[in-house]
Order: sequence, then structure tokens, then C-alpha cells
Amino acid sequence: MNDPTLIGPCADYEHDLVDLQDGELAPERARDVRLHLERCARCSTWAAGFGAIDARLAAEITAPGLPPDFDARLRERIASQRRLPDAGDLRSRLEREHAALVQSLRSGARRRAVLGAAGSVAITLGVLAASRRFLEQGMSLLPTLTEGPGHLMVLGTASAVVAIAALAWSIARGGLPLFGTER
Amino acid sequence: MDPGIDEHLAAGRHARAFDLVVPAYRDRVFRLAYSILRDRAAAEDAAQETFVRVWKALPGFDGRAALGTWIYAITRNTSLMELRRRRPTVSFDDPDSTEAQRAAENIATGPAQDPERDNLLRLLETLPHNQQEAVRLFYLEDRSYEAVAEQLGMPLGTVKNLLHRARKRLMELVRPDEEIAA
Repeated sequence: MNDPTLIGPCADYEHDLVDLQDGELAPERARDVRLHLERCARCSTWAAGFGAIDARLAAEITAPGLPPDFDARLRERIASQRRLPDAGDLRSRLEREHAALVQSLRSGARRRAVLGAAGSVAITLGVLAASRRFLEQGMSLLPTLTEGPGHLMVLGTASAVVAIAALAWSIARGGLPLFGTER
Repeated sequence: MDPGIDEHLAAGRHARAFDLVVPAYRDRVFRLAYSILRDRAAAEDAAQETFVRVWKALPGFDGRAALGTWIYAITRNTSLMELRRRRPTVSFDDPDSTEAQRAAENIATGPAQDPERDNLLRLLETLPHNQQEAVRLFYLEDRSYEAVAEQLGMPLGTVKNLLHRARKRLMELVRPDEEIAA
């Protein structure tokens, strides 16, 4: 254990000796430390040992260089990653189409509800009109329906009202397709 | 850093900025990855992965940290993830973990040709992981404290302290070892 490198340098100089070796010491302080090294065997031996380790590490720790095709491979990888946003675009396009379809179905449902209500109103009005007319004219209506020139008009009107009501009822229950609700 | 990178980033020209980032940082990124992984192919892969991540994240880079600091942090994370992937049972949270040391040792490939070199590097591998990494990077970066501090994300004083302790310990280890060898 008499090896000065194991005993260590003078405490005041240890960090300066390392900085001197690493070239990090200010010139003025470096001059002082060199003067100390000339006079102090302990520090000079320790510094020599430290310098030897430093030199060996510098010689032995080396990194291989990057291969020349590093950039080309990186560009290729990035190009393959760039294709991914295209897939993302496809997904977002599908999502947009889905949202539009849902919106369209919702508006179709609203339309069917309106038509259903209109159909109900038409049926009610038709029934009321027919009832009132029936009550007002009473039995005298019967010959009109079965005889005379107006009977076709009355029957036609009643049939049209029933047909419109049936159509509205079918649409309200999705029995018939509507333009604008299917994409 | 190339001032052009800043200008392109500020103008939102991320692709142009990235074209400058790669040549400006690829060597340091590779050396940092190599200092962690100690395997050429693994370090190369980690460097590639780092730049892919940088490319993806560059539009979101807000400049709060220096670009280099940000890129080196991505490099360290990528390299440590690669280390974990290779040895999934090992925790690298503790930089002094002996398990982490052994895992890193085992990743190093290729037989050493020079027994003395092999000996010194084996001694280096007995040191705490953070000391090993600082020492390797210091010599890979041509003895630059600043480069090591930036790449490891540590204060300069911490790096100097790690290097000092590591090399002092190596001095202590080398002498008895060489006496035994003699």
C-alpha cells in the first residue's frame, strides 16, 4: 500500500490535477499546479497514474461509425411511416361518411314523423268531413252516392283521402323508401 | 445547432427542419445510444428509432427545452427501452443497479482482441452504471464535459464528479489487478 496512486494526491490539488489532465484548468491555475507537481512526488505520481488511465480509456473506448446507408434507411422508414397517415385519412373519411349517414337517418326520421303527423291529420279531417256531410245530408246522400253524376267525384275524393293517409302511414313506419335518406 | 433548424421550426416547416436535424445530431445520437447499449447494431437501430420519433413529434416540439436536450432525452429513453426489451426482468430505474450492469455487459457483443483492453473495460463495467455511461460518453465525445452533460441531461458538476470518481476508482482497481496479472 505504499503506492502513491493509492494514497492519493494532496487534497487541495486532486480536482485540479484531474482538470489539468482534462484541459479544463484556467491557464493561471494550471501554471500553479504544474509548479506544485514539480515539487510534490505524491501528486506527480498520482497524476501520472491518472494520466495513464485516461490515455488507456481514450484509446480503448471507441465507437464504430455509422454505416453509410444510415440516412437512406431512415428515409425509407419515414416514408413507410408516412403511408400510415393515408390509412388514417381513410379512417377519418369513413368516419365522416358514417356521421353523414347518421345525420341523414336522423333527418329522415324527422321527415317520417312529420309525414306521419300530416297523415294522421288528413285521416282525421277526412273522417270528420265525411261524418259531417253524412250527418247533414242524412239518408239523402245515399242516392247521390249510388246514382247521379256527382257520385264518382264523392267516391274519388274519399278514395284519395284514404290513399294519402295509407301512404303517410306506410312512410311513417319505414315501409317505403324516401329519397335523401339512403346513401 | 444549425440556426436554420430554428427558423424552419418557427415557420412550421417541420420537414425542412428535420432534414437539417438528422445530419446535425445523428453522430451524437448514435454515440449516446452506443454508450448505453454497447452494441453497434442495437445502437444503430436505437438511433433510427430515435429519429423516427423525432420526426413524428417535431410538429409538437414547443421549444421549451433546447432541441438537443429533447433529442437526447428521446435517445436515452429509446435506448433504455431497447435494453429492457432485451432483458425484460431487469430494472434500470436505479442507475447503480448491478443487474442493469450485468444486462448491459451481456448485450455487448464481439470478443475483445486485446486482453489488456478487455481487462480495463471489464473493470469499467464493475462501476455503477451512471459512472460507466459518463466515462464512455466522455471519451466518445472527445473529452467534452459539456457534451456529456447535455446528452445525459445532467448538470456539468454532476458529470465532473461522476468522471472523477469513476477514473479514481479505476486507478485503484487497475494497480492490484495488474500486479496479480504480473
